This record gives sequence, C-alpha cells and structure tokens, in this order.
Amino acid sequence: MLLFRSEETVDAWCAAHNLRRHPLINLEQLWQLAVHWYANRLTVESRRPAADEMVSIFASLGLTGPFWDPKSDQWK
Amino acid sequence: MPVQDLDTKVKLAVYEITAETGRVPNSSQVSRKIDIDETEAVAAFGRLHAKRLLLPEPGDPSRIRMAPPFSGVPTKFPVEANGKQYYANCVWDAYGIAAALHSDAISRASDGHTGERLTLEVKNGAPVLEPYVAHFAVPAAHWWDDLVFT
Repeated sequence: MLLFRSEETVDAWCAAHNLRRHPLINLEQLWQLAVHWYANRLTVESRRPAADEMVSIFASLGLTGPFWDPKSDQWK
Repeated sequence: MPVQDLDTKVKLAVYEITAETGRVPNSSQVSRKIDIDETEAVAAFGRLHAKRLLLPEPGDPSRIRMAPPFSGVPTKFPVEANGKQYYANCVWDAYGIAAALHSDAISRASDGHTGERLTLEVKNGAPVLEPYVAHFAVPAAHWWDDLVFT
C-alpha cells in the first residue's frame, strides 16, 4: 500500500508497472483504518479483525464492493 | 503452560520490546524477556503467523519480518514517535504505529511514483490531513498471499 500526492501520480505508477488501478482512499479513511486495526495491538486481547468485521469496518468508511471483501473470489 | 497463554505472552513480548526499542525482536530476545526456551518462542512465532498476527522472516523462523504495523527491516515508511524511530510496513501501517502506540507521530514517507517527500503527521491524536491518497494494489481477499508485496 503506497502513498501518492495525487491521482495523477497513482495513474503514472500503475502505467509504469502495468497494473490495474484500484480504489483510492484519503488520509482520513486511512487513519480510521489504522485505528480500527491497531489501536489495541499492544494489549492482551489484540487480534486481527475477522472477515465479517473487516467488511463492517470498510463499509463504515464507504469502502464497499468485492475489492474490500476478504471472502471475495472475484480476484482469483 | 497452555499454548494460548504462551502465544499471548510471546505476542505481548514482541510488541513491548518493539515499542520500547524501535526494533522488532528475534526469538532469542523474546525468550529472554519472558524466560522461555528459544525453541518455544520460534514455535509461537509460527502459530502467531497462522493467526495473521506476524510474519516470520522467510527462511529464518527465528526472526520477524513484520509484526504489523511494525516492520522488522527498514522500509520507505520510517515513523518517529515517543522519541524513537520505527519502520512501518506500508502507508496504512505508518498511521498504524501512531494508533498502536497511542502517540503523536511523524512519518517522512514519499510518493510511490515520483519519490517526492510526503510527510504524514498525527498531532494531538488526530491526523494532519493532506490531499494525498493511498492506493491498494491488492484486493482484501489476497492481502496475506504475499504480504511483503501487499
């Protein structure tokens, strides 16, 4: 997961690596993802979110569709 | 000692050492911290990998490549927090280190294509928002297929 100044540099990177462009997220969304994933990482009860929890977290940030579905088989 | 208890102790030791030193420990350092045999620490690394909580170094199960959000090797996402320097695995994890440490932080990252310096900052517990974007090259269903690439 890389950081870019703008959509234009994302497009240039995708073209240079012959990769398809996927959804972009802004810094507020990225921060919220980081908090959901890692705020309790140094505690006894820390664990990775389960698949259904991941879908719920993504949806709360407006990230929906098969790209954000950890159970999707669209990408095999 | 039940397996789950040992894994939890190892997990906490990994993260405590990392938070305190800025460096992800190996099995020797973990075993000394919690007074277990090093082979037990290595085995626990494997079980924590199965739970997708860390990634051992390929070819060397005594070392940790990733204890997300922390990286066991230098990356393009250095993070300064609490007076220490850490390395994040990716841009998500750069913010993740601030979230995990509950600390303000600065990451002097760069544009993935041009290399231009792009600074990420968490100040007073919130991100200093810039019009930058993060791009995920891999769908969520395949993030752990090749975590280093992801």
